[in-house]
Amino acid sequence: MKRLFLLLTRLASQPLSWARAITRRSRLEAEMEAELASHLNLLTADLIRLGQPPAEARRNARIALGSAVDAKEGMRRSLGLRLWDDLYADVRYGARMLRKSPGFTFIAAFSLALAIGANTTIFSLARQILYQRLAVPHPETLRLLAWAGDDHVVVHAMWGEWDNLPGSGIQCTSFSYPVYHQLQARSAAAGLNLAAFKDDTMNATVAGEARSAEAEFVSGNFYDLVGVRTQLGRSIQPSDDAIPGSGAVAVISDGLWARQYGRSPSVLGQTLRLNQAVVTIVGVNPPGFTGAKSVQQSPDIFIPLSMQPVVDPKGENSLIEDQEMWWLNSIGRIAPGIPDTQAQAALGAAFQAAVRATLPLKTGDSLPRLVLSDGSRGMHPTDNLFRKPLYVLLTMTGFVLLLACVNIANLMLARGAHRQREMSVRLALGAGRRRILRQMLTESLMLSLLGGISGMFLAYLGRNVLPSLLSNPWENNALNVPFDWLVFTFAAAVTLATGLLFGLAPAFGAARAEVGTALKDTAQTTTRRRKGLGGKSIVGFQVALSTLLVIGALLFLRTLFALNTINVGFPTDHLLLFGINPPSLRYPDGKDIQLYQRLEQAFAAIPGVQSVAASDPPLLSGNMSVTGFSIEGAKSAKQNLPPQKRLAVGNDFFHTMGVPITAGRSFGPQDTTTSAKVAIINQALAKERFPGINPLGKRFSTAGDKGPWIEIVGISADTRYASLRDPAPAQFFLPYIQMEKRDGLTYELRTQLDPSTLVPTLRRTVAAIDPDLPLVDIRTQQEQIDSMMQMERTFAALTAGFGLLALSLACVGIYGVMAYSVSNRTNEIGIRLALGAMPRQVLAMVLRESTWISLAGVAIGLGAAALLTRLVKSMLYGLEPTDPFSLAGGAALLLVVGLAASWIPAHRAAAVQPMEALRHD
Amino acid sequence: MTDPQVSQPKQLDLLQGTLDLLILKAVSLGPLHGYGVLLRIQQISGQSLIIQQGSLYPALYRLEHQGVIASEWGESDNNRKAKFYRLTVAGRLRLADETARWNRMSTLIGQFLLATPATLGEEV
Repeated sequence: MKRLFLLLTRLASQPLSWARAITRRSRLEAEMEAELASHLNLLTADLIRLGQPPAEARRNARIALGSAVDAKEGMRRSLGLRLWDDLYADVRYGARMLRKSPGFTFIAAFSLALAIGANTTIFSLARQILYQRLAVPHPETLRLLAWAGDDHVVVHAMWGEWDNLPGSGIQCTSFSYPVYHQLQARSAAAGLNLAAFKDDTMNATVAGEARSAEAEFVSGNFYDLVGVRTQLGRSIQPSDDAIPGSGAVAVISDGLWARQYGRSPSVLGQTLRLNQAVVTIVGVNPPGFTGAKSVQQSPDIFIPLSMQPVVDPKGENSLIEDQEMWWLNSIGRIAPGIPDTQAQAALGAAFQAAVRATLPLKTGDSLPRLVLSDGSRGMHPTDNLFRKPLYVLLTMTGFVLLLACVNIANLMLARGAHRQREMSVRLALGAGRRRILRQMLTESLMLSLLGGISGMFLAYLGRNVLPSLLSNPWENNALNVPFDWLVFTFAAAVTLATGLLFGLAPAFGAARAEVGTALKDTAQTTTRRRKGLGGKSIVGFQVALSTLLVIGALLFLRTLFALNTINVGFPTDHLLLFGINPPSLRYPDGKDIQLYQRLEQAFAAIPGVQSVAASDPPLLSGNMSVTGFSIEGAKSAKQNLPPQKRLAVGNDFFHTMGVPITAGRSFGPQDTTTSAKVAIINQALAKERFPGINPLGKRFSTAGDKGPWIEIVGISADTRYASLRDPAPAQFFLPYIQMEKRDGLTYELRTQLDPSTLVPTLRRTVAAIDPDLPLVDIRTQQEQIDSMMQMERTFAALTAGFGLLALSLACVGIYGVMAYSVSNRTNEIGIRLALGAMPRQVLAMVLRESTWISLAGVAIGLGAAALLTRLVKSMLYGLEPTDPFSLAGGAALLLVVGLAASWIPAHRAAAVQPMEALRHD
Repeated sequence: MTDPQVSQPKQLDLLQGTLDLLILKAVSLGPLHGYGVLLRIQQISGQSLIIQQGSLYPALYRLEHQGVIASEWGESDNNRKAKFYRLTVAGRLRLADETARWNRMSTLIGQFLLATPATLGEEV
């Protein structure tokens, strides 16, 4: 008890006393001085009283008290001030050393900052895209329903995402509503509760403004199942979803609430129009909740599944009754203790029964198999798109991190070697070894801190740069990447640890060294001794890493160049693109074609618009439309294969786009809704399906071998179709006027006007015809093409940056190691020159040494590149992974940089004066 | 035979601990300035304990740092400014504790030194 009290007193007293001493330092020093002086005075007075003469008394008193400096040092130590004082001195000395060699400080801190910044940015993005879970309670118990089938699977009509399985077959996450309904009925018994959702794009009129919006249909039990509560109002209930066509309510996202309603609580009860259907807002989702499809972005509007037939009818039947169309996604929550395999088996049987009951099974058709997969990240549809590029980026930034570490190690070692003498002097003057270690530690930490803090700034600034590089400027998909502290801590820790490790290595060496040897060592040595880790092997490694990064950069730069110089088949400048998607409720079949025509004429009448084209799909947008192509009079069914790529176009398409007609005629005013059906095919199609025959006047059908027949009236030059990378495929063009209906059309306007001045006029023009019709995805043709190259451009930019960084670090490394080698060998070089060596020979000797380092590094780098570049083959265009230009270019670049970096040390060596060198210490 | 190299640090430890105890005892008899502590120790011990005067102040600072004595600036006998030290509550406890320990130790050592072959034989 007594002991505890004493311990507590001590624990309370010491920090207080320490803090007092730190904060009132000057007063403390004065008090110590005064106290010792008072002691001395009293002692002197007593000695005089004892009969000593004053001078002798003062002297004896001073002897008795001892050294005042020692006493004060002891008093400071008693207060725990020693460590603090030493640290303060170390920091001041360290700052002076860093200021004294600004080049070293800058390069070390800069490479650290870049490595930390790049790693944090890219790892954060990768974590966000590849690993982030849905913001719902217990995402780990969520399961996503999918099915897998072979090439003969009975499911034919799908609306949604699917993946090709390795080998053959597909895996798909879409189900028909009847199948989902039967599964849902069994789900409780199987231990996996199911809910359904479907993301859909529609026209929304929100607060009087028509625009395109993402919406998510959800089943009535969806909110209950994912466990999300609205932050305002109520969520969608099973009662909303009870009867198809009813339940005109909506829950809006936090983002839409903030953007359009200024977070006003009066949003509840307001209405918005979705494709002409009016729904009432009943609730607002919590921030962070993104629905079940994606973790990155939230649809703006959530509506009950029962509204599907009203809001977005597809064809004549409501999708809720449709047995053919598979479109609905389903997510489930697995009951505790139920293994996935058990739930999958139980539901799998029900699934196959439901498929048999809803789809007619012909001979040769196969049944799909139910697959349960992780649902904690929703459907994560972007995985396939981003996984590989992200892994490649992660690997490259990993290399950059490694390179920065190697660079730091090299710099620290070289610096440590330079300061060997300083350490010896310190030791000789009586510094303790631990004291020297502590000082080096402080210096390394200061440097690391400098790099770490700058890196944090870079990462903070860069965290939204990458997502914006990877998304289209005209699409509203702001991907927010939060600053990832875990990743930052990791990157910082790795680099700091390296800095410390290599900063301390020379200090350990110094502390171990006998005082005499190092002092003697630098005096008159002609032979070199290996000191610790070889600086040259480190530089060689650095060169190898740099070669690898530079080759990677060259590959991606050449890919971008190749993509940029593709001739797509038409002039891409001065073309403005935008889409119009009329809702089918207001514009049933036929009515929509009239609307497109009216709009086309209205756009053509706008001053400054030279001509107007329309097409579905737009060229080079990644979209395609494929239909049958059966030639009249074909002898066998085989002759009517394969189906061909098709474009529905406006009559002025070829003129506006600048695609030449090489034979026959273009579409024109004579082609109307009622005139004979006509088509134009491109040269590739002519060559493929009409070899050696003139296709003009031939007829074909898109609906099988019984017509209706369409006459080929013209042949056009080839253009690229959906993808920029694929060479121009066979394709044919039909006038949209002669088609029954189009679910949306993209207009292409050729104009010399600036898009920003034209767009308001366009909006007014459309609003005059239908105020609820938004202009969708406004962009120029060039922007559209650029967006196809976004990934490549981002890669080229990032890897070029990495490559440059690598080159400069290699340069610094080679310069550093050669400069050190030359300064160490001044004596030897002096002797060589004195014995008759020509300066030219000395120059060659140094350059030869550095070239050997570069050559070894480049050889290793080339080997690694040959192994690794194969992995990015699918990301390259127009060149092989072993592209000789990139490999040779990278190697040559490194060799030249190596020569350039050692040029100054080599000249310094050649300019050595023999006499001075021999006298030189 | 003991090796003087090994036994020396123990002696130092003992001395340092002892100095703390002496200071606590001296201060417990009434507030004192540093020189006064020195005088009182010499007075009590009859001039037979010799203290390194320079090591007195680090010890005082250490004890104050630990919270067992407290200091205050005041006037000395000849009207000079001096820093006076006094015992705190914790210091009183510490003094009692250390005194008890010292007594136990000295009794133990005393008995130990009285040991003869005869007493050893009985015990074993």
